[in-house]
Order: sequence, then C-alpha cells, then structure tokens
Amino acid sequence: MKKPLHKHIGHHARKVHGHITKYLYERDTIFATIWVFIFIVVLGSIPLNLGVLNPIKLGLKDFDFNDMSYSKLGKASTTPIDSNIVIINIGQADREGIALLIDKAASYKPKAMGLDVVFDGPRDPHKDSLLEETIKRNENLVMAAKYGVDSADKLVAGGNYFLHKGNHVGYVNFPNDDKETVRTYYPFKKDDHDKNIVLPSFSSSLLKLFDTSAYQKLEKKANQKVIINYTRRTSQYLVVNAEDLLMDNVDSASIEGRIALLAYVNTNPNDIEDKKFSPMNEKFAGKSHPDMNGIVVHANIISMALEKNYIKKVPLWATLLIAVFVCWLHMSFFVRYYLESHIWFHLVAKILQVASAIFFVWLGIYLFDRYRLKVDLKLSMITIVMAVDVIYFYEAWAVWMHKKFNYKTVFKPHHH
Amino acid sequence: MKKLQFLILFCTAAIAVSAQNQFLLYSFKGNVSVIENNVESKAKVGKPLNAAATVKVAAGGAVTLICNEAAMFTFTKAGSYQLGKFGDSCKVNSSSVSANYVKYVWASMTKSNGSAGSNRKAYMNTVGAVTRNMTNIWIDNRLDTINYSGVVNEFPISWKSYAEAKDFEFSLYKDDNISTPIYTTFVNKLKVPIKDFSAKMKAGNSYFWTAAVKGEENDELKVLNYVTKEKFEAVLETIKKQGAAFEATAEQSYRIAFLLEDAHYLAEAYQYYLKATTSDPQNGLYRSTLMSFKKDYEIK
Repeated sequence: MKKPLHKHIGHHARKVHGHITKYLYERDTIFATIWVFIFIVVLGSIPLNLGVLNPIKLGLKDFDFNDMSYSKLGKASTTPIDSNIVIINIGQADREGIALLIDKAASYKPKAMGLDVVFDGPRDPHKDSLLEETIKRNENLVMAAKYGVDSADKLVAGGNYFLHKGNHVGYVNFPNDDKETVRTYYPFKKDDHDKNIVLPSFSSSLLKLFDTSAYQKLEKKANQKVIINYTRRTSQYLVVNAEDLLMDNVDSASIEGRIALLAYVNTNPNDIEDKKFSPMNEKFAGKSHPDMNGIVVHANIISMALEKNYIKKVPLWATLLIAVFVCWLHMSFFVRYYLESHIWFHLVAKILQVASAIFFVWLGIYLFDRYRLKVDLKLSMITIVMAVDVIYFYEAWAVWMHKKFNYKTVFKPHHH
Repeated sequence: MKKLQFLILFCTAAIAVSAQNQFLLYSFKGNVSVIENNVESKAKVGKPLNAAATVKVAAGGAVTLICNEAAMFTFTKAGSYQLGKFGDSCKVNSSSVSANYVKYVWASMTKSNGSAGSNRKAYMNTVGAVTRNMTNIWIDNRLDTINYSGVVNEFPISWKSYAEAKDFEFSLYKDDNISTPIYTTFVNKLKVPIKDFSAKMKAGNSYFWTAAVKGEENDELKVLNYVTKEKFEAVLETIKKQGAAFEATAEQSYRIAFLLEDAHYLAEAYQYYLKATTSDPQNGLYRSTLMSFKKDYEIK
C-alpha cells in the first residue's frame, strides 16, 4: 500500500533532521567547531598582510552583499519622491551666479537652505562681495565646510573662504576614502581632547533648522558612525535646474517651507564631478564609476533622519554567536557524512556550501530590506567554508589525542 | 434599505475618487502648459496635478511626470495629454526583494554569458573613459573614431544632450586646423547625416568633429577618418578571408558587419547587418543585433 504524501514528507524531514542532529551533541562536533574558530583567529593574526597576493580579498574589500539588493533586486526603486527636499542644480554657475540662485531660492521661502559648495579662496572681489552679502542676508543658509585637525590637534571646520560669513555651518566630508563606497557618516564630530568642541554635519545643521524632533534624535548619536540608509536615487528627489528657478518655472509650493539644497548635480553617467560611490551603484562588485552626487548622499541622510528609518547593526557578540551556531550545525552534518558516507562527503559538502551561501545571502538581504537590520553573515559563511578542511585536521588531532591521552572520539585511525 | 444602498454607493464613489492617480510635474523643456478646470497655465516644475488635468506639449517640447510619487514617464511628442488616460503608466513593479533574489540567482546560475559574437555591446564595451565634463553634450565613445569610406552615404553622426536645448551646432574641422571649421550647421535634432557634409571631405584625410548646444562651446573633438575606397576594400577583403570554409551568406554578412563595427567602419557595418537580416529573416540574433545597432547609432 502506498504511503500518503504527508507521511513521505514527514519521513524525509525526519531523515534530514537525523543527518544534522545525529552528531550534534558529540564532543567531536563541538571541538571541531572550536577548532574552526581557532584557525580563523590564528590565520587572522598572522602579522603578514597576505591580502596583497589575494585578488579575491582585494576585490571584495569594499563589498557588501546588501548592495546587490539595490542594483539587482529592485530595492528602493519605488520609494516615493521626498517632498521635504528640493535640490537646486547650480550647474557651472560662478560666485555671482550662485549668489543670484541663493537669493532666488530664498524668495520661495524654504525653511532651510544648504549650499554644498566649498570656496577655495578669494577670486573676483566684485563677485566675492556679492556672494558674501547674500550669505549674510540669508539666515537660514547652511554653509559647507570640511572637518579636520589643526596644528594643535584641535578639531576645526575649514576649507571654505566664506565659512564665517554665514550663520550655520556643517561639514560635508565623509569618514572614508574617496575610492570607497560612502556607507557611514558622523552626524556630529567631537574633539578628541576638548568635549565642548562639537561640529555638526551638513545634514545635521539643516535638520536643526527644519525639524527639531529629528535633530534631537540625531543629537543622541553624537560622535557615532551612523550607517546611511539609502532610499532614493537622484530622480527620486525633485531636481530644479538653475534656469528654471531663475525664469520662475518652478511651483512655489514645492520649495516653500521645505529644505532647498543648492549643489552641482549631473545625471550624465560619464560625468564624475562631485560624485561618490554609493551602495546604489549599478555595479555592486568589481571596478565601476562613482554614481551619486554628493548632495544626493546628503539628501538621503536627511530623508533617513526625517523618516526616522535608521539602520540597526547587529552587535559583534551576536554576529559571533550566529557564526558559532551556524558552524556547529554544519559541522554536525559534515561529520555525519565524513564518518558514515565518506564517498559522498565532498559532493554533499560542496552542495551544502553553495546552498548555505545562497541562503545566508538571502537572509542578510531580507533582514536588511524588511527590518533595516544589518547582519554581517560573512563570518558565518567563512566558517562553513573552513569546516570541511578543519575536519581533516581534527581527525588527525583526535586520533593522536586518543593514542596519547585516551581521548574518546568517534574518529577511528585511518578512517579512509 | 435605500439609505443603506445610498451609503454603499457613496462610500464606493468616495473610495474611487480617493484612489485617483496623483501626478507631479517633474521637469519639462520647451513650451509646455497645463489645463486644470478649463484654465490653461504655464507648466511649473514641482506642480502637483490630478488625473483630470491635461498637459499640452508644443513641438520640440517634452515633459516628465511622476505618478503617485513613484512611477516616472515622459511625453516627448507634441500634443495634448489627458492624464486620466495614463493610469497604466502609474503601475510600478511591486515584486518583493526576496522574489527578485530567487529570480536573479536562478538566472545567474542557468544563463550563460554568451559568446562575443552574440553580444556586441559586451564585446565592444572597451572604449573611452569617464570625464569631468563641463559641456552639456555627451558623445558616445563608439563614435570616436569613425572610419568612413564613402561607399555608403546613409549614416548619422549623433550625440546626446543633458541640457534642455532645441538647437545644436555641428562643426567639422580638418585635422591640421582645429580653429576654423570647414563645415558648420545648426540642427534641431541630435544627429547629422554624413551625406550632408561628405562633399566637403576628401578621401585619405582625417577630420575632427564636435557638437555643442547652440551658443555654447564643446572642446571635445572626435575623429572622422575619410578612408580611401582602396583601403576599405583591402580591410573588407581581409575580413572576408577570415571566414570558415562553408559559411552561409547571412552568416558571412553578420561576421563582416560585426568585425567592421569593431573596426569603426560604422556606415559599412550597418549595410552588412541589414544584409544578414534580409538573407536570414528568421534569425533572432541577426534581427536583435540590427535593432540594437540602429538604436545605438540613432538610425531611424
């Protein structure tokens, strides 16, 4: 008589369960798991930087699986336009032109304005004085600066000739190399020695003027590196060209009471002027071009703060705990095949490694997309890869221990 | 009972009204106006519009709208567009990231990358570099350099504009004098057919060309080599000889087209892509490659 389907499924489920759990609580499984982590620690502690010879390590230096969700999986492609923010493209306007644009934007009565331009030094005195007067006149204008340390190792904002002419300042530089993806930023920078010296970022200064509650929430993250939640590309913000603004081709309601960001924007993919690498880059691995204008990165930070959708990062201890658990389960499964079906061991191990990699990448992307939870599952995947090799070492070690100290083990001498 | 029916009808109508698509005028160029409540007004960036509004686009104009804050679409042809009729454009792909992940992994594992011959873009995507550009004109690096033999006259030189401009200036220079153009024309399209200025060139010479928004300058010069017929024949002969022993006409034409395009004989390559498609109209690869070639080089 044929078995019903549910009994078939139940039978196979019990079989798989048996494969995983048969050796789960064996001393060998637990010790082999420990050995995996000892190997990781030892290999990671070698003082030589072998990464220089490893193209995979070099290639994956700036890699994050979650980036795939933007470029390949359609994440953030349907995020509604953020109506709180309007970007005014200053194009190639000179200082006089920028002054004109600031005054014109101000006439639309935005609640806050940000000028993401750093001016090197004095140029044409006439144009400089025009811009200076405009900056002084507009009290809700946030000027861009760059944070750094002076000769006395004191935190300072600089890099902008007109910095002290304005009422508000925010730094626009990010805590990473220009060639790396901008993933994090500091909402505030505190001096290492004098805690009273605190500089706000460009976005924090704008939020202070625009939304007090969002700013207060951000204030609690002072001197912390915050992960930027990218939710929008350039086209998901209203971008107004300078000509349209000057010719009154803009609906006043779209700027009034909102944040107006004045900066250089260009959607030409071959124009990399003021562009950064973002996780939204079409190419998520390997060499690519910077894809996002700096102002759009700032706009994403402001959107994140206004919508209060910060990314939560799983702490290191939890990442380690997950890795131990994952490694333990896989080790139990591998030990079972190693001892009982050795002929199939390598084939099954490789299939499981691929399947686990696909599953854990999905899990990481799912948690990031659904719960804005960033879990680093790279360590878990490394343990799965290493587990197979460690079994061979462990077998030799266990047999040696058995001979020497009568250590009880399921591994027999010359097992294969 | 009647009251209940009325209430249901009222609620249904209210839901239908509230579910109407909302549009946002994202950007426009040229003469664009909006008709709302029978009142016509000038289009303004950032203006919210309801489904009852009509957008009027004059010749040479274009307007980009965002529906329900998410779906972007553009009208580029002159005419009046009643927004209520464009509900289909408001649809956005709502499949989950997880579903897309499964599709992506499956496609990556099962689809091959294809050979070079079946993927001309991947094979020829080795040109040029990014620029810190000051101009509003972008010229595809595939159009630098163009080798032109004069055997085929029907081929356009094209570019893209990041500015909302109506008129463009095309200039042709001799390679030993880049200060004075030997030919200049103003066009309102983003291309110029080679036949318009081929009489100004002499076989065996090299030329530079550029395009700029009218009133602006573009220092980026691209090369146009007017190759002699003899030289082209020699190139063609070499390519022909490289074929397999039993090569069908369509196969040979496709191979020649592919290699000519790679050698930047674009006008000539087009003729061979056409020949391959007409010789074997059932071949999907030939058809799709021809379509893709026409799209890339703005051949209408």
